[in-house]
Amino acid sequence: MNPCRGYGWLGGLLVATALAAAATAADYSSTLKAGKAEIKSAGALAFGPEGILFVGDSMGASIFALDTQDRKPGKAGAFEVQGVNQKIAALLGTAADQVMIQDLAVNPVSKRVYLSVARGRGPEAVPVILRTDASGALEEFSLQNVKFSRVDLPNAPSPDAKDRRGQTTRLEAITDLAFVDGRVVIAGLSNEEFASNLRAIPFPFQQADRGSSIEIFHGAHGRFETNAPVRTFVPFEIKAESHILAAYTCTPLVKFPVSSLKPGTKVVGTTIAELGNRNRPLDMIVYKKGGGSFILMSNSSRGVMKMATDKIDTFGGITEQTDVRGLPYETIASLKGVEQLDRYDEANAVILARTEGGSLDLKTVPLP
Amino acid sequence: MRDLLYWLTLAPALLGEPGPVVIRLETTGRPSPAFVVTGWEGAASTAPGSWADRLAVYVDSGSAATVPILGAHRVENGALIFEPRFRLEPGLRYRALFRPAGGGNPVATTFEIPKREAKPPARVAQVYPTTGVLPENQLKLYLHFSAPMSRGEAYRRIQLLDQSGQPVPLPFLELEQELWDREGKRLTLLFDPGRIKRGLAPREEVGPALSEGKTYTLVIDGGWPDADGSPLAQEFRKAFRAGPADREPLDPKTWRLGIPRAGTREPLSVEFPEPLDQALLAGLLEVEDAPGNPVSGSVQIDRQETRWRFTPQQPWSAGRYNLEAGKTIEDLAGNTIGRPFEVDVFERVSERIARETARIPFFIRR
Repeated sequence: MNPCRGYGWLGGLLVATALAAAATAADYSSTLKAGKAEIKSAGALAFGPEGILFVGDSMGASIFALDTQDRKPGKAGAFEVQGVNQKIAALLGTAADQVMIQDLAVNPVSKRVYLSVARGRGPEAVPVILRTDASGALEEFSLQNVKFSRVDLPNAPSPDAKDRRGQTTRLEAITDLAFVDGRVVIAGLSNEEFASNLRAIPFPFQQADRGSSIEIFHGAHGRFETNAPVRTFVPFEIKAESHILAAYTCTPLVKFPVSSLKPGTKVVGTTIAELGNRNRPLDMIVYKKGGGSFILMSNSSRGVMKMATDKIDTFGGITEQTDVRGLPYETIASLKGVEQLDRYDEANAVILARTEGGSLDLKTVPLP
Repeated sequence: MRDLLYWLTLAPALLGEPGPVVIRLETTGRPSPAFVVTGWEGAASTAPGSWADRLAVYVDSGSAATVPILGAHRVENGALIFEPRFRLEPGLRYRALFRPAGGGNPVATTFEIPKREAKPPARVAQVYPTTGVLPENQLKLYLHFSAPMSRGEAYRRIQLLDQSGQPVPLPFLELEQELWDREGKRLTLLFDPGRIKRGLAPREEVGPALSEGKTYTLVIDGGWPDADGSPLAQEFRKAFRAGPADREPLDPKTWRLGIPRAGTREPLSVEFPEPLDQALLAGLLEVEDAPGNPVSGSVQIDRQETRWRFTPQQPWSAGRYNLEAGKTIEDLAGNTIGRPFEVDVFERVSERIARETARIPFFIRR
C-alpha cells in the first residue's frame, strides 16, 4: 500500500543508513524463525527494514513479519500489466472473479511490487502473496518455508474465542498498517464495537510486549467528539517529528504525532481537511518533488488528490465550518479508478487501477 | 475434488498426428490431483529444469491463455507429473499442453471439473435489529445468512429505499474489507458515520441517511452469490421507520432484573428500556458468582433485543451474584455505558467508568 511506509519521510536517508548498518540488518533477520507461515488471510501490507514484509491477517487476528530476503537493490523501470486480475487468476488456476487483490506494497530496496491476494471469495479463500518486478512477470512468494515471526493483536478476540452462545462472530478487519519508529502501527475496525483500535506493536515482536491499544478521538469543530476508527493512514514527518496522517471512517483527514501514541493517553487528531461527502479516502502516499512535499490520495469517488503539505505544520486545524475545508487540494485528472497506490521510486508510483471495462491494471505512473 | 474422474479428450485438440502421448488427470490415489503424461520420450531426454517447458496447464477460458497455472513438476515411474499448487475448481475447464522434445506437434487435452452438487440456496436468515423502528442515527445492521457468502460485492447487493421507492444514496460505510464473521455468514453493515456525526461535511451537505418519521426498506438482492457462487433463494426486504435520534448513553440503573428462586434453573432476565446491539449483547453480558467465577449457562435474546435471559447449567444457589456488563455494549445508535456515540464536549458527561465492566449485583433467595 504505502511505499516505504516504514521509512516514512526519512526516505532514502534511512534506507541508506540501514544498508550501511549490516549489524542492524542481522539483528532484525535473526529474530525471525524459518517455517511455514500459517497466514489465514493476507490483507494490508507494509514494508519494514531490510525487506521485511508485514502482513495483516484479519482472520487470524495477527500480524506477520516475513523475511522476503529481497534485499538486493533493484532498478525501478516503468511497467504495465494490463488485466492483472486475469493474469493472477490464470496463475492461480481459477476464474478472474474469484481473485481479490487486497493490497500492494513496493519493496523500497528491490523495487519489486508485492500483492496480497485472496484466491476465492468465501470463508475458505486461500491467502497468496505474489510479486512482480519491472518485467511484469508474476511469481508466488511462498509461505511454506520462510523466515517469519507473528504477533497476535492485543485485545483482539482469539480465533477460537466463542461468545456465550458458542459463536465465533467477533472479528477485526485490519484496514491499514505501517512501520514507524520501530513499531508496527495497525488500524483496525471491529465487526461489532464501533471504536478506535489503533495499535502500536514494537518490532521485533515479543510476546511480553504486544503493544498497546490507543484510543483515537475525533473532534468535529471543537465540539462533538467520537471514538473514531482510523481507516487508512500514512506516516510522515513534520519538522523532524514523526506524525501520522489518518483518514477516519467518518472521512476527515487528521494528523497526530506518533509520540502521542501511548497507552492510556487520549489522542485527538487535528482535522486538516474534509474531503466532501460521498467520498472515501482509499489509500495515501507521501513524496517529495521540486523541493516541496506532497500527499497523494486515492478516493472512492473524487479521484486522486494531490495536497501540498508545506503548511501542514502551521495549519491549526478546522474548528469552524467554512467553505474552505482545510488544506487545498488538486485533483489529478489523468489518474482514474485508482484503488491502490504505493511509491515506486523518487519520481514514480505504482497504482492498481480499475478500467472502465472492469479489469485491473497494475502500472507505474509519474508522481504528479 | 471428487473421486469421479471426468475428462474428455478433444480429438481435434490432438494438434497434428496422433501420437502415443496420453495426458490423464488423476484425482484418486494421490494426496492431490495431478496431470500425468505417459508415452512421452522419457526423463532421459529432458532436464528437470525444462519439465515446465514440456508440460503446462492452463485455465481454459476460451481465450488464448498465456499464463500457466502454478504447480510442481516431477517424474514418477517414467511418467511426467504436474501437481497444481491450488485445487482445481469445480465448473472450470483446464487445458494441459504437452510439447514433445525437438519441436514435434504438441498434444493438448482438456479436462472439465464437475460442478458441485447443488445445495439448497442460501437465504437471509435474520437482520438485526429486528424492531421496526430505528433511531435516525442508527449505527449498524447485522445481516445473517443461512450459508457462507461471497465477499467483495456486498455494497452492490444492498440498497436502502426511501418511502417513494428511490434508493438513498450511499447510506452505508463502504469498506474494502467487508466486515464478515469467520464463517462468512454474518455481515456487519455500518451506516456512514460521516452522515451520523454532527458537524461533518457529509452530514452538512447531504444530510443523514435516515430522517425521523420517514419509512425505509432495506433490500438485499437475490442475485448475491453464496460462497459457492449460487444466488440467494430470493430477494429479502425489511421495512422500518426512522424514529428520533438517540444520543443518550446506556445506564444500567434503568435495566430491570427478573430474579429467579434458588434451587431452580429458571432464567435470570434483564429487560432494557430500548433495544440493544444484538451481537454485543450476546457477547458482553455475563453472570458471575460472589467470588467472581463465571456461571455457565445459555443466553436467549428476544423481544426485539430488549430482553436478555440467562439459563444456568446448574440450579441457582442462594446468595449474591453479579451481572457484569462490558462497557462497550451499545444501543442501536452506538451509545455505550456512560458514553454517548458522540460526546458534546460543551455538555460533557462527567461520569467516567474506569472499570471494563459495569457490575450489577443481585441476590438469589430461597
